[in-house]
Amino acid sequence: MALQRVPTRFCRTVCQTHPLHLSGQSQQLVTASAEPETPVKIERAIFRTPEQNPANHSQQDVGQYYTLPPDQLRSAFPHGLPRRFQQQMKTFNESCVMVRQPALEVMSHLKRADYRQPALRYLLYGITGSGKTMALCHAVHYCFSQGWLVLHIPDAHLWIKNCKELLPSSYKPARLDQPVLASQWLKNFGVTNKHFLSEIKTTKSYVWTKRESTEEGRPLGELVEKGLTRVKSSSDVMGALMRELRTQCGGPGGPRLAVAVDGVNALWGRTTLRKEDKSEVLAEELTVVHNLRKMLKNDWCGGAIIATLSQTGSLFTPRTAYLPHSLLGKEGFESLEPFIPVPVPPYDEKEFESCYQYYVERNWLQHPYGHTEEGKKELIFLCNRNPAIFERLCASL
Amino acid sequence: MAAVTATLLKPWTPRLFQVRWSRYNPYYLEPEVRKEVYNIPETDLTAEQRKEQELKAVRPIKAAPASLHSSGFSDPMISKFINMMMKGGNKILARSIMLQTLENIKRKQVEKYHKTPDAQKATIECNPYIIFNQALANCKPVIGLVSIQKGGKYYQVPTPLTDNRRRFLAMKWLITECRENKHRRTLMDEKLAQELLTAFSNEGSVIKKKNELHKMAEANRAFAHYRWW
Repeated sequence: MALQRVPTRFCRTVCQTHPLHLSGQSQQLVTASAEPETPVKIERAIFRTPEQNPANHSQQDVGQYYTLPPDQLRSAFPHGLPRRFQQQMKTFNESCVMVRQPALEVMSHLKRADYRQPALRYLLYGITGSGKTMALCHAVHYCFSQGWLVLHIPDAHLWIKNCKELLPSSYKPARLDQPVLASQWLKNFGVTNKHFLSEIKTTKSYVWTKRESTEEGRPLGELVEKGLTRVKSSSDVMGALMRELRTQCGGPGGPRLAVAVDGVNALWGRTTLRKEDKSEVLAEELTVVHNLRKMLKNDWCGGAIIATLSQTGSLFTPRTAYLPHSLLGKEGFESLEPFIPVPVPPYDEKEFESCYQYYVERNWLQHPYGHTEEGKKELIFLCNRNPAIFERLCASL
Repeated sequence: MAAVTATLLKPWTPRLFQVRWSRYNPYYLEPEVRKEVYNIPETDLTAEQRKEQELKAVRPIKAAPASLHSSGFSDPMISKFINMMMKGGNKILARSIMLQTLENIKRKQVEKYHKTPDAQKATIECNPYIIFNQALANCKPVIGLVSIQKGGKYYQVPTPLTDNRRRFLAMKWLITECRENKHRRTLMDEKLAQELLTAFSNEGSVIKKKNELHKMAEANRAFAHYRWW
């Protein structure tokens, strides 16, 4: 059972990734500079960090796990965590995330950015399974714990495929609405940002149908309620909500806004949805995509945009593509430009060791050969230190 | 007279024709994939091992099948089970079902492990390989029944079974039980995981089937002397 059939999407012939820019804080330097943790307390394992607050994570915590507290988990991530991580959370009875260099880089930029300037865009890219979504979740947890308003889209690819109900929009004749999707997203948004719903007030009145409208000065909670009850106009409610947040979070007193999008290349790709006359729907023609694209433009201040590229759920892209230009295409790249590219590499030796120890401690790696040195070398060879492949490999061992 | 000569001139065919048989000449030797065997230094070899090595120098060796590894993670029982589950040569699917089953077993056990208080943690077995082997051992029948004809009637006679036959029966029962007697919409790996976990704790329908076979054999003890081998 040495060469387990790895899901084809993980097979890469080229093992090296090229970072687009060589930043001063290169990942390879981390292993050399990080010394082993000095006084290791007997109660705490070496791969766990004592620092549970993401704001205080620093270079010395790289490669170590911190726990997400369960009460914050339910409000911060109603829909944000990847499916396999959710299974892992259920099995291990705890949710531990590894602190890694790309997430630390994004958080350090977030701490030092000037929020009177237009929003900065951070793009996490890397090969399949290298940990981009988890880095995004780490950054979202940081923003949530700092009291920011979080707009989290867990997977933009789900918006452009497998949609059973497409309604023609009442607002613009050429556009198409996705009522169920939008209402589900609004519900999750309400769960994450409960305390902001009563604070922020609308600045414009919106007319949904002949009989329904929302006046100026009503709290945001009412807007979200309207979207949940009147499912038909939920996509327009989403657009209105995004507009409100854009205008209001820029002000000096307003909360900071974090827009986190996973799989941002979906917004500029092709869709598999068809209109009634069997012609293909362009991404631009979907209301939700159109509104999100407006959100990702850097013409508003007082927040940050963190995005991840993803080949896994994407349509009509080659399996080995991972660089921004190949996944976003010309149009996407030009609309996202200028952005701060953050490469996410697979585990290095220290991180791999930490992950291995974590699995052994949680009783996940059960096979006796896996506990030996040769078994470990075999595992490293099989997964090439790719986090997702290592997790799948250990699942059956 | 003509009929007798016709029977003598008939070409000979064996009474029992093999269904699954190897096309290799018996001259060929089996391949040795275990790394430990090759790591023994020259001086430590016993007389038999030395003889085997000399034989390998002159005799040809069969090609190793694709599913045979030298890795420490390989398990011959699991490989046999995968081969038995395979349909139409789709080894990839059978293997993925098996790995998913092992993962399901491990997930259930590890979840239980992390939720129990520290005192009972030692009683919970989390290793899916141990659970699989133990469940299979629990399902193996000790004695089997063979249909023997005597005096115009067929009797079910209790017989001893070889190890291979017992292992085959246990695996076959597990697989047919999961394929036929479970809910249509559940996936094979879930069904197998449930069945293996119940067999591990000596409950479940396969254990019941084994026990019924034992009871039948016990009931037909009187016919045991009909067996002549």
